[in-house]
Amino acid sequence: MSEEEPRIGVFVCHCGLNIAGVIDVEEVTNYAKTLPNVVYAVHNRYTCSDPGQDEIRKGIKEYNLNRVVVAACSPRLHEPTFRRCVAEAGLNPYLFEMANIREFSSWCHPSTPEEATEKAKEIVRMAVAKARLLNPLKPLEVPVTQKALVLGGGIAGINAALDLAEMGFKVYLVEKKESIGGHMAQLDKTFPTLDCSICIEGPRMVDVARHPNVEIISYADLLSVEGYVGNFKVKVRKNPRYVIADNCTGCGECRDVCPIEFPNEWDMNMGVRRAIDIPFAQAVPLIYTINRDHCIECYKCVDACGARQAIDFSQEPEEIELEVGAIIVATGYDIYVPEEGNLYGYGRYSNVITGLEFERLILAAGPTGGHVVRASDGRRPRSVALIQCVGSRDVNKYEYCSGFCCMYTLKHAIQLKEHYGREVEVYVFYMDMRSNFKGYEEFYRRAREMGVTFIRGRVSRVIEDPKTKNLIVRVEDIALGEPIEVEVELVVLATAALPSKGSDEISRILNISRGADGFFMESHPKLKPIDTPVDGIFLAGACQGPKDIPYSVSQGCGAAARAATILSKKTWKIEPIVAVVDPSRCRNVKAKCGICAAKCPYGAIRAPQGQPAQVITAMCHGCGTCAAECPADAITQMHFTDAQIFAQIRAALQENPEDKILGFLCNWCSYAGADLAGTSRFEYPPTLRPIRVMCSGRVDRDFVLEAFRLGAGMVLVAACHLPYDCHYISGNWRMKERMEVLARMLTKLGLSPERFRVDYISAAEGVKFAELITEMTEKLKELGRERIMAENQKLKPVLDRMLSRKKRT
Amino acid sequence: MPMKLKRSETDEQLKIERIMYARQYSLTLDKRRCVVCELCEIVCPREAIQVVKPAEGEETTSPRLEIDVELCQYCGICNAICPFGALELKIDGEKVVPVVKFESFPQLIREIEIDDEKCPVGCTVCVDACPLKLITVKVVDDEGREVEDAELYPDEERLRVTVELDKEYCPVCRVCEYKCPYDAIHTQKVIYGHIRVDTDLCPEGCRECVDACPIPEVLQLSEDGKVVVNDLFCVYCGACRVVCPVEGAISLERTVIRHTPVHSGAWNKALEKLTSTKDMTKELRSRAVIKVKESVERRLA
Repeated sequence: MSEEEPRIGVFVCHCGLNIAGVIDVEEVTNYAKTLPNVVYAVHNRYTCSDPGQDEIRKGIKEYNLNRVVVAACSPRLHEPTFRRCVAEAGLNPYLFEMANIREFSSWCHPSTPEEATEKAKEIVRMAVAKARLLNPLKPLEVPVTQKALVLGGGIAGINAALDLAEMGFKVYLVEKKESIGGHMAQLDKTFPTLDCSICIEGPRMVDVARHPNVEIISYADLLSVEGYVGNFKVKVRKNPRYVIADNCTGCGECRDVCPIEFPNEWDMNMGVRRAIDIPFAQAVPLIYTINRDHCIECYKCVDACGARQAIDFSQEPEEIELEVGAIIVATGYDIYVPEEGNLYGYGRYSNVITGLEFERLILAAGPTGGHVVRASDGRRPRSVALIQCVGSRDVNKYEYCSGFCCMYTLKHAIQLKEHYGREVEVYVFYMDMRSNFKGYEEFYRRAREMGVTFIRGRVSRVIEDPKTKNLIVRVEDIALGEPIEVEVELVVLATAALPSKGSDEISRILNISRGADGFFMESHPKLKPIDTPVDGIFLAGACQGPKDIPYSVSQGCGAAARAATILSKKTWKIEPIVAVVDPSRCRNVKAKCGICAAKCPYGAIRAPQGQPAQVITAMCHGCGTCAAECPADAITQMHFTDAQIFAQIRAALQENPEDKILGFLCNWCSYAGADLAGTSRFEYPPTLRPIRVMCSGRVDRDFVLEAFRLGAGMVLVAACHLPYDCHYISGNWRMKERMEVLARMLTKLGLSPERFRVDYISAAEGVKFAELITEMTEKLKELGRERIMAENQKLKPVLDRMLSRKKRT
Repeated sequence: MPMKLKRSETDEQLKIERIMYARQYSLTLDKRRCVVCELCEIVCPREAIQVVKPAEGEETTSPRLEIDVELCQYCGICNAICPFGALELKIDGEKVVPVVKFESFPQLIREIEIDDEKCPVGCTVCVDACPLKLITVKVVDDEGREVEDAELYPDEERLRVTVELDKEYCPVCRVCEYKCPYDAIHTQKVIYGHIRVDTDLCPEGCRECVDACPIPEVLQLSEDGKVVVNDLFCVYCGACRVVCPVEGAISLERTVIRHTPVHSGAWNKALEKLTSTKDMTKELRSRAVIKVKESVERRLA
């Protein structure tokens, strides 16, 4: 088909008023009609809707289109939709190109509609230029391993594992701690029904442990994940328990003879456990663990275990490898423990405790046997203050709302009233009471009816009476409009939920990104709340943001369903955007080159001596680093070919290049960050002309040289943050090395160093992206057209010479 | 309330605490009783106890004991091993030694028998002899009332002498036994061993070991300034070796430690460190022999 004359159809979307409210779509459509090879251009209200998609299919048929460009939103959102649409009309899905005029124009330039329209036209021109050179591609089919890995055995992970197991898939449930159960197993009661938490979770824990399709790998760490959707290879280290799982009957006789006690982390260090022990009575799997940090090796446990011979001090960590087709991340959250004496006297005053500590206090199996007592004198408090939003909704700590604290504070208030009735005064200090969802508002009313005093206002200070150890809570009561003081005997802080410790490592191992708050980022906040940007990896529960139990359970089940969409197939199609070597141009035949093999982050290229390099297609992730590194231009990345990108550069810089910033944005971080700037409506000047590449590693030196040869005002290469954020392990590092050398050369040739910029933007840094473009535009103005054009004049002959070999393409 | 680890020190004691919501631990070192020997440092399984030599420029020249609040796990091994009873472990305010309670570590056997029937009224030789001042002698009448001034008491026949010894703090140096003119005290050492000072290595005028030794009769300076050892009263605590400025000048070996029977890996390890691998195996072997003997006896019976 590539031989055939391109017949391009352009479909411009209004997106209601999202685009049409700023951009003159009519003008853009008319402009598109003037572009070479465009045989049909039309605008419609919602291109992604059924009638919109129909129009595309009809256009393909009626006008015999062999290329389609949709000027609408971000390809990160709807590229798959439209690819499917053109495929339905019989076109190869890779003959489709998207022009992002919403996130990159209408949403970020609302106050300059004319410039926004101009920018939209150029974005369409760039897309058409690329579309002209598109080639049909066939998706690669890979086999699917019909097993799943669930990371984290909290309530979300348990449900995800159970659902998948019920569907008939083998599931590995990997848990870091000794027992599954997560935070839910630490709680006393659940809101709004006041069910006993472990009584409802315990049976589920047992179910998942007994299920023939589930293998629980507890007390284990995730070491590495390699591969791709359908074919992940996962390395897990099983930490030694020094107890042989098969021989341990869980009787606990070893525990009874152990002399060593140490603080039980699971009990918030309020109570103790022995050096050989289980964290809590309902632990699953019920296998004892020796903590060698504390064990004095008296071997009393060995004697107690006797003929069962379950204790083995010679155990070593064991590394195992699992092969799975999909991964569900359910690593949960941590609770914020205020630093010593930092907030409301926690740590300084003994009668200030956190909400989770309160859970352990009121729990019958807790360290005090279910008696709420004060640490200072062991007496039951007659008045309790529950303070909300400790750490959360605080710009100096954690900006977000932790979601479930309102409800658990209400639960604590009701529990205190239920246990001690009139003998206890309960005060709740709150900013806003957030009791949405089923049955929650009724729960709030119940607390009020039981006589709990609600005081609206942010607590400013808590002071201790040194004699009585009572606490004086100072707050500005918003209802009264004046500061008040309340003396209580116990203060409970509803502290924030934090991303769990180690999520940075998980994000690095799995190559999934985290938001500004540190929680894992979903692929799309509305439409793909469970997916990650990596195919085959899904999120469930509080690792994506604070969630209560029903929400976590639903997400666990949702993630199981999402994973099953892959696992239920024998093969899975992956994008054919892989690298291809032209053996006739490969230098490795004559000389010892092998640069591509050395730079490939996945080791997917082999360059045997005297032979052209070979790409192992199944291992290629499609970053394009090799294509950029190849000194002979012998490697092509499908769908992101040199010719296509050159065409985009030329189309972008056709008019007034000095006024423009040409930006190369990597798909996973910078492009997503720019999308976020658009969706968040952060306004920045319309100077940028964006080119999307899968990885910054794809950005060839020649792209930058060509841009300056054509007179670009500035060039920006934006990548994922160093050192670990790159979606392709190290593409950003390769780009950095390459661009540092290039920048030095360009400066030597007389280019103002400000004109070439390498920066790092994460998917969460919409603000940073907007600020960066604003700052660069200011610099561009500062330099002035005159100077830029003068520099360009000087540079042009040198760059012409350097790029002369490219003329061929 | 988060778990708190506290350390407080006065001239008389060093106290560390682990305060948890539902449980409180404390370990107190009585500095008046501690002789800064090496025993607790050797046996601590977490290396939480260290003998700290004074830094240069510090006023004092004598070493002191430091306990790490982060490392200590309140097992009580140090409490059990200290011959001077200088360390005391409390859980929730009660004196407990968990390792002893759970038979993971033995107690030292302090065998001291005092036959105060042999004691004549008025004799206080042992009281004066005890280097640690642990003995009290009282004169009582036949009704058990203490008699302050025996000479003024009308009927000497009704008077009796009682001798009390704070066993908990006694390292059993046997000085009282040897000094007693009436053969009323019989003891057995807790730790047996050998000690030798290579006086050729001693620096000129050095008397560090003599000053550090808790039992004055053990190490003495002779007229020519050389150290003389009296092995008879040595408790083999090693306080001399701690302060000795020359390595190898004092050689001290422990061979046997008398303790309550125990079957524990932690004790074997401690024993090996306190004595030597050879002596540890000797104890293990003898224990095995006893076991065999017992089983044979059982069978014969």
